[in-house]
Amino acid sequence: MQTPAHAGRLITPAMVGVALVLLTVPLWIAKVGLYQYIGVEILIWAIYALGFNLLLGTAGLPSFGHGAFFGIGAYAFGLTQFHVAANLWVCLLGGILAASLAGALVAGFVARRRGIYFAFLTIAFGQVFWFIAMKARNVTGGEDGLLPIARLPADFGIVSFDLTGNTALYFFVLALFLATVVALWRLTYSPFGRVLSAIRQSELRAAHLGYQVVLFKMLAFIVSAAFAGLAGSLFAMAQGGAFPEVMALHYSGYIVMMVLVGGGLVSFWGPVIGVVVFLLARDLLGAVTLTWMLWFGLLFVAVILFKPEGIAGVFQDLRRRFSRQPAAPAQPAARSTS
Amino acid sequence: MFNLIPFLINGLTLGLLFALIALGFMLIVGVMEQINLAHGSLFALGAYVAYALLGPPLPLPAGVGEWWAELPLGLRYVLALVVAPCIVGLLGILIEQGMRRTYGKDPLFGLLLTFGAAMVIEDVIRSIWGTRDYILPTPDAISGGFIALNLIWSTYRFFAAFAAFVFILLTWLLIERTRFGAVIKAGAHDSEMVRALGYDLAKLRIAVFAIGTMLAAAAGVIMAPIWGIRPHMGVDAVIPAFLIIVLGGVGSFWGAVIAGLMVGMVIGLTAAYASEWSLLSMYILLIVVVTFRARGLFGKKSILEA
Repeated sequence: MQTPAHAGRLITPAMVGVALVLLTVPLWIAKVGLYQYIGVEILIWAIYALGFNLLLGTAGLPSFGHGAFFGIGAYAFGLTQFHVAANLWVCLLGGILAASLAGALVAGFVARRRGIYFAFLTIAFGQVFWFIAMKARNVTGGEDGLLPIARLPADFGIVSFDLTGNTALYFFVLALFLATVVALWRLTYSPFGRVLSAIRQSELRAAHLGYQVVLFKMLAFIVSAAFAGLAGSLFAMAQGGAFPEVMALHYSGYIVMMVLVGGGLVSFWGPVIGVVVFLLARDLLGAVTLTWMLWFGLLFVAVILFKPEGIAGVFQDLRRRFSRQPAAPAQPAARSTS
Repeated sequence: MFNLIPFLINGLTLGLLFALIALGFMLIVGVMEQINLAHGSLFALGAYVAYALLGPPLPLPAGVGEWWAELPLGLRYVLALVVAPCIVGLLGILIEQGMRRTYGKDPLFGLLLTFGAAMVIEDVIRSIWGTRDYILPTPDAISGGFIALNLIWSTYRFFAAFAAFVFILLTWLLIERTRFGAVIKAGAHDSEMVRALGYDLAKLRIAVFAIGTMLAAAAGVIMAPIWGIRPHMGVDAVIPAFLIIVLGGVGSFWGAVIAGLMVGMVIGLTAAYASEWSLLSMYILLIVVVTFRARGLFGKKSILEA
């Protein structure tokens, strides 16, 4: 990933622009033929995708089992609500903590692996968690899911916001999305993020420079799992339940597809673009054909073959062409040869 | 303590079947160092094509359809075992045409490409056959069951295990005992030298990919009567396949076969104590083995570790 302008800032002009656009979404979304809930869904998946890209785009670690942490967040949110306290903040914390702990456990096993072996082991762990969610019926509700999870009010002591409506939930999720953007922007362009980038380019070189690469990889994994847990918690609240489906191999693959199609390898905002394209394609193509995945799959194949930098990469090319800068040397897409 | 022998025999047959499922995947990853995540979908496609050939009459031109339907089921079954892999093999060649653009890049691209291909194939299957389950008819000679040790055994299961054994042996002969196999393996090891000796590596790779995907389809046809034909069967196949390869060690033929038998045995034996949780045992086996032996049981160093 090239260092963008304003990398050192806490809040960038792009963030302000995105925030302003997203704030107006409830005003016009129904007028363009969409509905409020898709906005909620896009923001939740965007949190998930941004967190995932810290691992895939920045650190170059292809996790194919990340759905597990999303799902664990959702189940933990529900279980905290049922058995500990029906308070939004406690439940969110429960979801994030559970996903981070599961992330730490998996990271302990996979942090010493690279490339394809890393992908294989994360598939295996993802399947383990999915399998447990399917079979531990008395805890998770099995295939029927954990029901019913309430949309708890956001209580700030003096004021309390009711989140049962989709518009209210949208603004709540938007606030968390913007917090995620700021946090991950800082993290990606912090010294910590730089080391992750160095590990992506050459793990051996980073190790020889004296960085404890295993520790950095573990931390990246845990942080990414924590954001997946946050997104999963919000998803449980949005859906009114937690279901094993999102933990299956397909969904773990979808998040990789979203991030890559959007251009997570070359741009911080790539994952968000990918999520918007994926979910809109699901709804718009899904309205005309039952086999929308056929077309999205073909798009994904085309992206992998012809433009691994994704949609954000196309934008960057266009901007370069119009500003007539000399083309930057081709970036190694994922990890250069080590 | 109850009798474990039935579970052992079940585990053994299951192990052979798992090895069969992993065979095509193993061939491609072993000699080309490419991950074919579409393996499961091609496996499923093989089963669906076989169903199209053996199930209700096809909408073929008058005459041909009746001629086909009047053939004895046994002959049609054998023909399906040939035709389905051939059709899927053609698709495999198509995938290889895309895949070749990723050679020399990060192996992750091949994995992602085939994941996308898997999504496409799954949706093609869904749009043609829908999401319902089908049962593949089998010839009388190999269907039904028999009684031994006071238990009922499925004849087809033993036939399938025997077929798996034959396929494993043939694949081994192909890659270890023929000139073709030697050139292919040399190509994975030192492609420049193989080209310099005048072999057309591009054609060899197409051949390997075609054979690998044909094996996937053949496994699908053989497994169809046991698992039933349903959309999820692709995932059910690709997960054990990749697991067996990683467990056995990438690039090791016998490693994969032994890993297949181990996985079958572990599932068979855990089924004796906790049948519902038995599939979990294969993941735990993989995680334990790979934690202590990073390259699996018999793995050699490969570019996939880069």
